Amino acid sequence: MAKATATKDSAIDGSPFISASEALIVQLLCGCSLAFSLWVANSVYSIHLLTDPSNTLLLIWIIELPIVILLYSRYRRNRKRCTYLRAVGRGLLALPAGAAINFLGAVALGAPVTIQYLPKTVNWSLMMSVFTTVPASCVLGSSWADWRRIFAQTKPNGSIEYLICLPAHGAVIGGWFGAWPMPLDWERPWQEWPICVSYGAITGYLVAMVASLGFALAHNRSCLPKRD
Amino acid sequence: MARKMEPRRRSPSGKWEYIWPMWLTLLLHVVAIFLFTRGFLLTRTELPYYSSCSDISQSPCFSSSDNLNSTTNSSDGSCWTKPAINRLVIIVLDALRFDFVAPSSFFPESKPWMDKLQVLRMVASRNGSSARIFKAFADPPTTSLQRLKGLTTGGLPTFVDVGNSFGAPAIVEDNLIHQLVQNGKKVLMMGDDTWTQLFPHHFERSYPYPSFNVKDLDTVDNGCIDHLIPSLHEENWDVLISHFLGVDHAGHIFGVDSNPMIEKLQQYNNILERVIEELESQSGPGGLHENTMLIVMGDHGQTLNGDHGGGGSEEVETAVFAMNFKKPPSSIPPEFDSSACRLDMDGNNVCISSMQQLDFAATVSALIGIPFPYGSIGRINPELYALGARRWDLGAPQEPSESDVWMQNYANVLCVNSWQVKRYIDVYSASSAVGFSSDDLSRIASTYAQAESHWLHSTKKLLSGSKNGSDTILPTLQKQIDAYFNFLATVAELARLKWTEFDLKLMISGILIMLLSIIFQILSMLRGNKQLGIFMPLSGASGIFSISTLAYVLLAIRACSFLSNSYILEEGKVANFLLATSGIVMLRYAVRKEKLLPESFGFLLLCAFCQFSIEVGLTKQAATSAFMKEHTSWILNITSGFPVWEFVAEVAPMLALILLAFLLYKATNNSSFKWAWKYTIRSTILSYMLILLHWISDGNRIGFALMPESIGRNYVPRIIYAISLGQLLLLSFGALFEDNSLDCKKNLITKTVAILSAWSSTVILLSGKQGPMIACASTIGGYCILRMDNTGERTTERPSSSSAVDPFRVMQWSLFAVCLFFCSGHWCAFDGLRYGAAFVGFEEFVLIRQAILLTIDTFGFSIILPVLGLPFLVATMKQANQTKHFIYTQLSQAYVMYGLSTAITTTFAILCVTVQRRHLMVWGLFAPKFVFDVVGLLLTDIFTCWASLYYFDQVKDDQ
Repeated sequence: MAKATATKDSAIDGSPFISASEALIVQLLCGCSLAFSLWVANSVYSIHLLTDPSNTLLLIWIIELPIVILLYSRYRRNRKRCTYLRAVGRGLLALPAGAAINFLGAVALGAPVTIQYLPKTVNWSLMMSVFTTVPASCVLGSSWADWRRIFAQTKPNGSIEYLICLPAHGAVIGGWFGAWPMPLDWERPWQEWPICVSYGAITGYLVAMVASLGFALAHNRSCLPKRD
Repeated sequence: MARKMEPRRRSPSGKWEYIWPMWLTLLLHVVAIFLFTRGFLLTRTELPYYSSCSDISQSPCFSSSDNLNSTTNSSDGSCWTKPAINRLVIIVLDALRFDFVAPSSFFPESKPWMDKLQVLRMVASRNGSSARIFKAFADPPTTSLQRLKGLTTGGLPTFVDVGNSFGAPAIVEDNLIHQLVQNGKKVLMMGDDTWTQLFPHHFERSYPYPSFNVKDLDTVDNGCIDHLIPSLHEENWDVLISHFLGVDHAGHIFGVDSNPMIEKLQQYNNILERVIEELESQSGPGGLHENTMLIVMGDHGQTLNGDHGGGGSEEVETAVFAMNFKKPPSSIPPEFDSSACRLDMDGNNVCISSMQQLDFAATVSALIGIPFPYGSIGRINPELYALGARRWDLGAPQEPSESDVWMQNYANVLCVNSWQVKRYIDVYSASSAVGFSSDDLSRIASTYAQAESHWLHSTKKLLSGSKNGSDTILPTLQKQIDAYFNFLATVAELARLKWTEFDLKLMISGILIMLLSIIFQILSMLRGNKQLGIFMPLSGASGIFSISTLAYVLLAIRACSFLSNSYILEEGKVANFLLATSGIVMLRYAVRKEKLLPESFGFLLLCAFCQFSIEVGLTKQAATSAFMKEHTSWILNITSGFPVWEFVAEVAPMLALILLAFLLYKATNNSSFKWAWKYTIRSTILSYMLILLHWISDGNRIGFALMPESIGRNYVPRIIYAISLGQLLLLSFGALFEDNSLDCKKNLITKTVAILSAWSSTVILLSGKQGPMIACASTIGGYCILRMDNTGERTTERPSSSSAVDPFRVMQWSLFAVCLFFCSGHWCAFDGLRYGAAFVGFEEFVLIRQAILLTIDTFGFSIILPVLGLPFLVATMKQANQTKHFIYTQLSQAYVMYGLSTAITTTFAILCVTVQRRHLMVWGLFAPKFVFDVVGLLLTDIFTCWASLYYFDQVKDDQ
C-alpha cells in the first residue's frame, strides 16, 4: 500500500509536463531520424534491410540512439536532483541492458542462435532497446515502481509516459506479429530473420507513436483545467 | 493422521460422477476417427478376376498365333504377345534413388553418394550395347509393400494398404507372378521376405530373409549374394527376383550422405559387375543366357534423410536399368525416344529415358509373352519393350526395314494392351460400388472407340493385307499408336484421380462427430464450473480477460496454423513461439505481482533451451548425415568435433539422471509418504541406476567390460521394463486398498509422483541419452507452470473464482507437452519415428511389443507423462476448500480442459487434411500429421481414462 502511494506521489511530483507541440516535435524527430537512417543506409552505403540486415540495423540504432537520448533526457524525472548529463548516461547504460532482455526474448521466441545470425540478432536487440528501454530509462531513471507500472501494468500516467509506453509496446507487438510469415514457404528474402521482424517492429513503433501522440493530446486536454 | 474430512452436502454417488465425461469423449473420438479414416485413407476394390491365354480371342487384335508376318511359328507356348525374351533376372535395390544410378553430370552438383554404381553407367554408355537407364516414376505411397504390389499388379495401390505393411498379406489380385506361374514359368526369389508374404505359394524356390530389423544392414544382402551368382548357372528357373534391402536400411538409420550408404553402393556395384559378367559370358548362341534380360530397379526413392512413403520428388524418382544380352537393338523410331543424353565425367555419352512404374507389369508381361495382369492399367513402354523385341525380325528379309516391323508389332501389342485395360475399366465400374463416374467412363469409351475403329478400318487391313509400301504403312501405324497412347494416358490419368478420391460423406460425418465431442467437452467444462459454485466467468472482467482469453487465443492460433503446410513443417517452432509468448505474459504478471520472478524468468530460459533443441531437431529433419537415429539424441549432433564436447555429451545425461534420482529421493523423504508408496517410488531410483549401467556398458568411450555384452544390452533394459511394470501393477492395486484417512490433496500428490516415477524410467531409457535432459527440462518447466498459479490475478481480485481451474495453466501445460514432443527429436512424419527405440532390449521383431515400445518412445514425454502429471495442477492450487468432492470436480475439469485443447487442435488437423486433400503434399505432410495427431488424441483419451480410474476413488463421505 505504502509503495503504491509513493508511486503516485512520484508520478505527480516528478513527471514533467510536455505540451502537445513538444510531443509532436519529439515524435516527429524520432520518426524522421528513423527515416533518415534508412535513407542513409540506402543512398550512402547502398544497403537496406534486405541486402544487409545486420549493418542496416546497426545504422538505424546508431542514428536513432543519440536523438532519442537527447530528446527524452529533456523530460527526465526529478529535474532538481538529476542533471541532463546523468539522464544521458543512464540512457546509454540502458542500451545494453535492454538489448540483453530483448535478446533473451527473441531467442526464447525462436530466433536462431547460430554464429552467422549472432550479429543480426545483436543489432536487432540493440535497435529494439532504443525503441523500448532507452527512452524509458532517460525519463524514469531507476525507479522500479514506475517501470513496473508502465511496462507490466500498462498504466501510463502523464503525457510523457504515453510517449514512452505506447511506442515500446507497439514495437514489441509489431515484432511479434512480424514473425508470423517467417515459416511460410514463399521463399522471399524478407522472410529471413530478422528482416520481417524488424519491419514489424518499426511499423508497430511508428503506428504506436501516432497513437501515443493522440493519447498524450487527450491527456493534456483533460489535465489542463486541473493545472489552471 | 491428517485432518478428517467432513461429509459434504449433496454427495455424489461415486467416482463415475466425475469421470464419465472422459469416457464418453473417448467413445466419441473413437467413432469420429474411425469414420473419418474410413473416408480419408483411400481404398480400391480388388477384383477377383484373372487374365488367361484364351481371352485374347475376344480382342480385335491379332493374337500371336495368327501371326501377322508369318515368320515364326506359334509353337513357343506364348499367348498374348510373342515372347521377346526367355529368361529374366530382376534385381530390386530397395530405395534406390535416381541419382545413385544416373551419372553426376545430370545434376547441378556432385554429391558423395553419386557415381557409385559405375557399372550400370559404363554398360549403358558402351557403344552398341543394348542397355538403357530409365528414370522411373513411382506412384505414392512409396512404401516397399505398396510398390511391390504396384509393380506386380500394374495398378495403383492405395494408402490404406500402408497399414498392412507390418503384416504384409498375400496379394489376391491378378499379378505378374501369378501369371508367370500360371503359364509354366518358374520363379526363383531371394532377399526381402516381403515377397514370400505377398506371394506365399508362387515361387519355385525362395530364400527369404527377415526385413524388419532396420539396424541390420547386411543379412538380407548377404543372403542374396550367396544365392544370386550360383543361381545364374542353373537352368531351372525362368524369372529370378533378387531383392536387396541394405540401401533402404542404411538410409533409415544413417541417412543418404553417410559412409555405410556409400559402402553399400560400392558393394552393389561389385555384385552387379559380377552378375553382368556372368550373364554376358553365357549369352552366346546356345548359351544359358542367350535370351536373358537383366533388369536392375528400385522400388522407390528416398529422401536424403532415408525417408520414403510420400509423393515428394526424391521419393518417387527411382531408376530402372535394363539390359539385353542378345545383340544391340537398332535404334527405335525417334518418336518414342524419350531419352536425354549427356556426357558423363569420363566423356561417354549416357542416355537416360523415363518411364512410369505403372507400366512395368504390362511391359514385362509383353516381353515374356504372358497375359497381362487383369488389373493392370499400365502402357507398354516402347523403349523398354524395344530392348527385348529383337527376335522375330531375323527371319523377315522381305520387310522393308527393321523399324517398320517393330512398329507393326508394337501397334499390335498396344492393341492388346488397350483392349485389356478397357476390359478392366469396364468390369471394375460394373462391379465396384464406387466405380468411375459416367462422365469419365464415356470419355474413356470414346477415346477407345476412336482407336479401335481406326484399328479395324485401316490398320488391321493394312497389316494383314498385302505388303504396301512403307510410305503408307508408317503414317497409319503412327496414327494408330498415337490413338492408343491417348487412350492409355486418359485411363492412367483418371485412375490416378480415382484412387486418390476420398469419401466425403464419411469424412464429413467424422468431422461432425468431432465437433460434437468438442461441444460436449465445453459443456462439461462449464458444468464443472457450476458445480464448483462459479457462475459463468465474465470474460469482460479485467483479470480474467487478459489471462484466460489469452489461453484461448493461443490455442486458436495454434489450431489455425495447421491449415498451412509451412506451419505444420515448423510446428515445433510455432508451438515454442506460443509457449514463449505465454511465458512472456507470465513474466509480465510476475513483475506486476513482484513475486516468482525467478520462476518465470527460468521458464523463459527453458523456452530458449527448447527452441534450441527443436532447431537441432529440425536441421536433422531437413537433411543430415551420419546421424544415428537409433541413438536419437540431438546431443550427439552437437558434439561432432571437439573431444571435450563429446565427453560432456557423454557425461551430462548421466549427471542429469543422477540429479533426477536425487530429486526423487528428496521427494520421497517427505514424511507424508506411507512406506509402501515410498518404496514403490524408490525402486525407480534403482531403475535409474540400471539405466546408467546400461549406458556405461553400451558406450565405447568408458567401455570397460563390466559384463558380457549381450547381458548389458538386453537384460538390463528388460529388468527396467519389469520394474516399471511391477510398479504400475502395485500402484493400480494399491489404489484399491488405500484408506481414505489421508489428506486428499497429499494423497493425490503421492499418487501422481508414484505413477510418474514408474513411467519415467521406461520413457527415459527409450529416449536414449537425451532422455534425462528432457526429463529435467520437463520437471523444471512443470514446476514453473505449477508455481505460476499464484501470479494469476484472480486469486486476489476475486477469491471466489479461484476454485475453477485456470485454463491458462492447462493450456501452458499442454503447449509445453507439445514442445517436448519436438524437443525430444520427433516430428510428425514417419521417419520422425525412432525405430531404434523399438529395439532397446530386444533383438528380434515382434509386432505388438515393438509397436508398444515405439509408442512409448514417441509419445512418452508429450502425452503419457503430461497427462498423468496433470493432477499436480489441481493439487498445487491454493484454496480454502479441501474436500474431496471439490478437488475431484476440479481434477475432472482439468482433464476435460486438457482433452479439449488436444481435441481442438486435432480437429483442425482433420479439417486441414480435408481441405487440403488435393494438395501436392497430402501424403508427404498432411497425412502423417493427421496420423500422428489422431494417434496422439486417442492416446490422450486413453491415458485420461486410465488416469481417471487411478486417481479418482470412491467418495465415501456420503453417510
